[in-house]
Amino acid sequence: MKSQSMSSLKIDNLQLSQQGKLLLSLNEEVKGGEVLTIMGPSGSGKSTLLNWLVGMLPSDFYANGELYLNQQIITNTASHLRNIGLLYQDPLLFPHLTVEGNIAFAMPKGDKKTRKDEISEALNQVGLAGMEKRCPQNLSGGQQARVALLRVLLSKPKAILLDEPFSKLDSQLRQETRQLVFEQIQRYSLPAVMVTHDESDAIAAQGKVITLDALPLNQAAS
Amino acid sequence: MIVANTLFTRLVRNSPYLLIALLVVPVLGGLLGVLLPAFGWFPALGANEFGLFGFVQLFNTPGIERMVLLSFGTSLISTLLAFVITVLILASYFNSPWLKRIQRLLGPILVIPHAAAAIAIGFLITPSGFLSRLISPWLTGWDIPPDWLFPHDPYGLSIILGLTLKELPFLLLIALGVLAQPEIGKTLKAQHKVASSLGYCPMTGFFKVILPSLYGYMRLPILAVLAYSSASVEIPLILGSNTPPTLAVAIMQWFNDVDLSLRIKASSGAILQILITLSLLGSWCLLELLVKKCSTSFLVNGEREYGGMLIQRVTHLITTVMLSVIGLALVAMVLWSFAGFWSFPDLLPQQLVTLHWSSALLQMQTPLFNTLVIAISTTLIAIALTLFVLEAEQQNTKTISAISGFIIYLPLLIPSIAFLFGLVWLFEQVNSQHAYINVVFSHLLFVLPYVFLSLANSYRRLDPRFSTVAASLGVQPSKIFWQLKLPLLLSPILIASALGLAISFSQYLPTLLSGAGRINTITTEAVTLANGASRRTSAVYALMQMLLPALFFILAWAAPKLFFRNRG
Ligand SMILES: Nc1ncnc2c1ncn2[C@@H]1O[C@H](COP(=O)(O)OP(=O)(O)OP(=O)(O)O)[C@@H](O)[C@H]1O
Ligand SMILES: [Mg+2]
Repeated sequence: MKSQSMSSLKIDNLQLSQQGKLLLSLNEEVKGGEVLTIMGPSGSGKSTLLNWLVGMLPSDFYANGELYLNQQIITNTASHLRNIGLLYQDPLLFPHLTVEGNIAFAMPKGDKKTRKDEISEALNQVGLAGMEKRCPQNLSGGQQARVALLRVLLSKPKAILLDEPFSKLDSQLRQETRQLVFEQIQRYSLPAVMVTHDESDAIAAQGKVITLDALPLNQAAS
Repeated sequence: MIVANTLFTRLVRNSPYLLIALLVVPVLGGLLGVLLPAFGWFPALGANEFGLFGFVQLFNTPGIERMVLLSFGTSLISTLLAFVITVLILASYFNSPWLKRIQRLLGPILVIPHAAAAIAIGFLITPSGFLSRLISPWLTGWDIPPDWLFPHDPYGLSIILGLTLKELPFLLLIALGVLAQPEIGKTLKAQHKVASSLGYCPMTGFFKVILPSLYGYMRLPILAVLAYSSASVEIPLILGSNTPPTLAVAIMQWFNDVDLSLRIKASSGAILQILITLSLLGSWCLLELLVKKCSTSFLVNGEREYGGMLIQRVTHLITTVMLSVIGLALVAMVLWSFAGFWSFPDLLPQQLVTLHWSSALLQMQTPLFNTLVIAISTTLIAIALTLFVLEAEQQNTKTISAISGFIIYLPLLIPSIAFLFGLVWLFEQVNSQHAYINVVFSHLLFVLPYVFLSLANSYRRLDPRFSTVAASLGVQPSKIFWQLKLPLLLSPILIASALGLAISFSQYLPTLLSGAGRINTITTEAVTLANGASRRTSAVYALMQMLLPALFFILAWAAPKLFFRNRG
């Protein structure tokens, strides 16, 4: 693939602050197929970093720095035009749509039949063959997680962000799902940023690990 | 929980039955009292043979089709409009601070009685009203009031305007209430975020992701609004045409006619009214199905942007127009209440006088006294009963059954015009001559549901461990209730009381009918004056109608703050 060599997410001299005090600063580039792991204590700003990456930083925060996706600057691009997919610990499937509907919702426009086939094949690959018409509420946690993953991937994002994506799964399921996610990230050659509290996630990601500091106590208190 | 057997606990335990009886007996009795005459049984007239002549008479009334059409059309269109505008506002301002601001602007309108709102809108749109003054003569060249039909237009446009403006804040606040619930709101917002990260523009994301879930929570309130507006009397009476009026207004006029034989036709009309309301609810559900069916493929077609900017602009426009209409109507009413001589195209009166206020306040003493006495007695009963029922719920450690939960809202769902006349007949049967008591009794039907709705959440959220701890210390249940729970719930109780008072203040039909026309309140006077000669006096009464509930809401809000500040 040609895009493989170009695919990258670059965080250029980011400084995130809340009410004048610095929360974190970061300068990183993630190449396609790589996973950058962010760890750190609760409240250190991990989710806030992801919010900045997708362009949904709450008005409380102030950010300085630039964001490049595939060499294009997108710092001020509206979130829905960024092509950055998000995967949370909650699958957040849409309850009014079927499994198929949830995935179709995410896919680009196109011929109905082609889309349908693509969905069936993808479901097949993750062991959910024949579940097209099921309601998401009636799936197990692991199945929901896989549908959520497919939903992100089939939307053809140019990068993917994972916010503690496996923390609600038990250890067996966690390992399987994790493997699946990383496989798919490699397959689509996506730059990925993963937030996690779990060491084993970080090891499995096999990428660079950044640990954010807790806010110094005196600073947090003031 | 094992509860001691004292007078207090017995009282509490039996209170749910009293509540149910107080609501079911009048409504069902009232319906019976309409059903019998509708089918020809009306002994007072010597009619004691069942038959359909009431209906024959009804359908021979000139203009009856128009009455039905007006009732059906105005309520369906206004509810549809209110719903669409609510959705547009939510979609356009979903993640914007404007949503909170609009909510704050519209909230107070909720407690403005229908009659006062109708009077205010009338001031805006009459030929010599504020609207035509605003655009004359510089734009229109009018030196004399234009010859337009508003209000009282035969198509019911003024009614639709009035109903929409009253329904909109209600639906919007319901929707915002759903979004404010921690679990639902948070999930919906996160799902919207997901849609956004999947490339959906905020507006399309709202329609495809939030609306289908949100609608489920808004469905019942929408149906309630639809049912209410199909049979409401105040707005069509003040803003509608009389040739012919809506069915509900016509029924009221027949019932109040000196010619008692019209009672049979009126009762048949009440049955027809119920059928209209039911068919409206049915039509809404059909419409819902249709939209659902047509939208399934639309939801998942992958289209991410449907002219969101255009819709947003249209919504800005609608919102601005709506807020201006409300603002201007209020300004117009205040101006009229102080106006001296005010010739036509002038925007402002030549002079401002306080004469109308001082003379109206003098006249107003009896109605004001009646209004307060009735509202306070009704609210006290409603609050006490509600608290007892909620306490019974906690002592039984289970919430009241679904059926009882439904019965509480019965008086709000059944068109009141359909059972109030029967209720009056019932009063006559049991020979209840006491107009005050009858009025309080009928107000209770409408005050109780709202007070219950308003208090139930806070009471149920009260941490049960408080009472467990107190009980383990050997404190009597009654003492826990009076000295622990009630002080903890002071604020919600006061708010519920203000709400109860506001609902009672605003009642028109129940006061008029149960009081047999002998008890005047601010609201009945305001409605009578609305189509009368003096616009200035009418303005004062309508303003009083708004000021009274506002005053009590401010009191309810401020009192706990003062109370607790004294404690330090
Ligand atoms: N919407 C918001 N508005 C204001 N402050 C916020 C908002 N969201 C988070 N914060 C604050 O910003 C800081 C960083 O929060 P963030 O959610 O990024 O932490 P986190 O590292 O993701 O923690 P966790 O591991 O618990 O998820 C915290 O002090 C938090 O209280
Ligand atoms: Mg977080």
